[in-house]
Amino acid sequence: MAKLYDLLLTDVRFREGLTACMNCGICTAICPAAEFYSYDPRQICNTVQTRDEEKIEALLKSDTIWYCGQCMSCKTRCPRGNAPALVISVLRKLSQELGYFTESEKGRQQYAIKRTVGENITTIGYCVTVEKIVPEMHPEQGPVWKWYYENAEEVVDRLGGNYQKEGPGALRIIPQVSIDEIKRIFEVTGGKKLQDSIQGFSEDKAAELDMTFNDSIEGNEYFNHLYTTNSGNHQK
Amino acid sequence: MEIKKRFWNEYQKEIAEDDYFYERSCIRQTFFPGSEATFLKILRQDLGKQIVDDPKIHTCTGIGYHSDIVPFETTMTICARLFSLMNDSELTNYVPSCVTSFGIFNEVLDTWKHFPEQLELTRENLRKATGREFTVPQNIAHPSDIIYHFRKELKEKMKYRLVNKETGEPLRVVEHIGCHYSKIFSEQSVGGSEFPHVLAGMIEEWGGEVVDYPERRHCCGFGFRQYLVMANRGYSIANSKKKFESMKPYKPDFIVTNCPGCAMFMDKWQYTIAEMEGTTYDDQGKGIPVLTYEEMTGMLLGYNPWDTGMQIHQVQAEQLFDKIGIEYDPQDKYTGKSGKFLGEPEKPTHLVV
Amino acid sequence: MDRKKIIIIGGGPAGQEAAYHLALHDYSVTLFEKESDTGGHLNKVVKLFPDFGDADALRKELSGRLINPNIELKNGTCITELFKEGEKWVVKSDGDCACYGDAVLLATGFEPFDATRKEELGYGIYDNVITSVDFESMLKTGKIVNYEGKTPQRIAFLNCVGSRDEKVGNPYCSRACCINTVKLAVCFKELLPDAEAYCFYIDMRMTGQQYEELYRTSQEKYGITYIRGRISEAAATFDNKIQLKAEDTLAGLPLKMTVDMLVLMVGMEASESTTKLATQNNIKGDYGFAASKGLNGHDNQTTKEGLFVAGTCKRPLTLQETLADAGSAAIQIMNYLRSDN
Repeated sequence: MAKLYDLLLTDVRFREGLTACMNCGICTAICPAAEFYSYDPRQICNTVQTRDEEKIEALLKSDTIWYCGQCMSCKTRCPRGNAPALVISVLRKLSQELGYFTESEKGRQQYAIKRTVGENITTIGYCVTVEKIVPEMHPEQGPVWKWYYENAEEVVDRLGGNYQKEGPGALRIIPQVSIDEIKRIFEVTGGKKLQDSIQGFSEDKAAELDMTFNDSIEGNEYFNHLYTTNSGNHQK
Repeated sequence: MEIKKRFWNEYQKEIAEDDYFYERSCIRQTFFPGSEATFLKILRQDLGKQIVDDPKIHTCTGIGYHSDIVPFETTMTICARLFSLMNDSELTNYVPSCVTSFGIFNEVLDTWKHFPEQLELTRENLRKATGREFTVPQNIAHPSDIIYHFRKELKEKMKYRLVNKETGEPLRVVEHIGCHYSKIFSEQSVGGSEFPHVLAGMIEEWGGEVVDYPERRHCCGFGFRQYLVMANRGYSIANSKKKFESMKPYKPDFIVTNCPGCAMFMDKWQYTIAEMEGTTYDDQGKGIPVLTYEEMTGMLLGYNPWDTGMQIHQVQAEQLFDKIGIEYDPQDKYTGKSGKFLGEPEKPTHLVV
Repeated sequence: MDRKKIIIIGGGPAGQEAAYHLALHDYSVTLFEKESDTGGHLNKVVKLFPDFGDADALRKELSGRLINPNIELKNGTCITELFKEGEKWVVKSDGDCACYGDAVLLATGFEPFDATRKEELGYGIYDNVITSVDFESMLKTGKIVNYEGKTPQRIAFLNCVGSRDEKVGNPYCSRACCINTVKLAVCFKELLPDAEAYCFYIDMRMTGQQYEELYRTSQEKYGITYIRGRISEAAATFDNKIQLKAEDTLAGLPLKMTVDMLVLMVGMEASESTTKLATQNNIKGDYGFAASKGLNGHDNQTTKEGLFVAGTCKRPLTLQETLADAGSAAIQIMNYLRSDN
């Protein structure tokens, strides 16, 4: 296998995101994740900058790289023109390609996102729609959401939508040709490959942890475990 | 004040005048379908503009991309397909409803500019997958940019102002700009990254007063994977809470935002915090109403707030309507398309509705 | 034989010092200064680092030495054109007729970085954010007060504003700000010993004689606290104080602090005259400064015969370095004018 640092360099976003860090801390200063998690974007860029294989591998297997919220506030301020958030994206990609993401609690959650958002994209053509935000999985959405969810077609259509019907309007059914072409694009560009990797490595991990694992969300012990588990050890 | 004006002038970007191709947003469609319909109505009826709403469009994969389950190459090619659909309509002005989408397109175009081989690779990918070709839009403007651009024309048609009808004082408005609108490329944000003017301009033009508070620029906390997975939601709510605590002493009358995620979060987290802690950030226990800019514009133009979607907010907006003097029919609030009454939502334990 | 004449553009310390040496050696000097008085940025300073020497005394010495029959002083004259005509150099100012010389010394100096360009720090928007230049003016009055006229209990200084920053187009270091921060913080503590002073830095570049000792004194005797972290953002709080966000990089933790005043240590940029006149003569160097012929040994000559450069029109320098550089320029000019050419 090629050196991890060299693998990072193949991604154009890595070259955009990290030229050299002077350790001024301006990124960590306004990073929301640095405030609420044991996370420091400056330290991450520093670690990567050392090109140390062991340190980078440890990073790819850790919870650390999964704390970033991708707000890009770091990019706005960096005096060297770096973007730690872009570096994080490349680290996350590599972690998933190599299967390292299943070594950490936060990394394992990628399976949950693949199962929900990832599969939504290639089946309904959107990352999220009303029927996917099930009130039991989203108690924070509140009672008005529950009312809306239960009366979706009536309300959406009143508001100018076209709920699960053909033709223009919010929450319509996308024509099959678009879904088919989206699927093909995923196949050609490595999107499907990434999703399959996430699935494959996760299935292995589920077996290792002796949890059930299947093609849906219901009865999928592994999915429910990582959707809800928080060790509480993520702050300093 | 003079220095702020200078920033706004320096960061003026070109916003197309007409003939738009609209791209719907995953989150806005789901949580604010009325806002999208309102934007189209404002453009067509109030401004007489042409805007195409193509049913074949789809996600840009932004949420998937920023949660790292969609590779960048895939995202670039999906964006290319959307451009190809725009080409089919023979239009060149692209208008993405979502702020993440806006950020994605700017990031993709910037990448193609600095790494032309990525553009060629995308062309090849799209051809191979779909047989389609594409050309890049001439203009990309967020819908809030367009409303901003025409704020003076819209003011002429407005029935109401952002003014407290009892006291005659301007309403105090917190404007929240989506991170991916202003923070990735300053030159794509009207007014730049630090003092964006896209919403402030609307508020001031329509009679309100913009509230500056210490955490104004802070992210609402969506965090993509930090919300999508239940175990991570603490991050998301903590960031919104930080903002609420910071804005509370300034007693804002409402919050307006141009990102669909931000609007949803700042509404729902107020409810969640009230349920968890009994705290609200106004003095009546009702919370601070959170509006999308489409809802704000439609409200002032005199649209029925239950047609623009304000009944789906968890923090109730009637307190704001009453301050302005907006007419509304409480009986009409929970009726559906067919006209039938759909029952009322349950009431929260702490948040006053 | 005609007496050789030297034109000096810029009446700050570099121009003043060079004029003095040239006049002493019986050359004829015409010194142009755009302001109504000579002295340049030295006029705005109270104490000099690192030894807290009296700026006023130095100012008097430098301007006093211009009273010399060999020096023609033209204040209030801004040179807008500089060019060579045959063997002679020509300068013109707005509306005035030309002045001729055998050699020219460009000593047009620097301007402090315009801090409004660092929008996230809120200078010009939030009342209690000021620059080091504003702070020096306050020192002249002998009293430090915030916008509301009250004595600050806690002050923060931020290094590298407009320097080491790609975002504003100035990736370079401005050389003098680190020691100046220590100086200002000590001046602050001398006036207000019970107040807290914090300095936010990336590096403490204590490169000159006595600098490192002063840094230590500032910590030991004056209790000034140094935090290694560049402030990312400043915002006004509800009671008009300043909330700032930085990372304490040595602790590896983000830090939020409320202060009564924030002082931005602004860097040096080439002055408008420097860039304009350097460009006219094809000697414009990096970032609009004037380029010398070579850093090691030819640092006052330029690629244009008879055109010399001294002081901060070349790059950020301390006052000490500027005065030495001006003396060196005077020698180079004399050498040039004496040789057969």
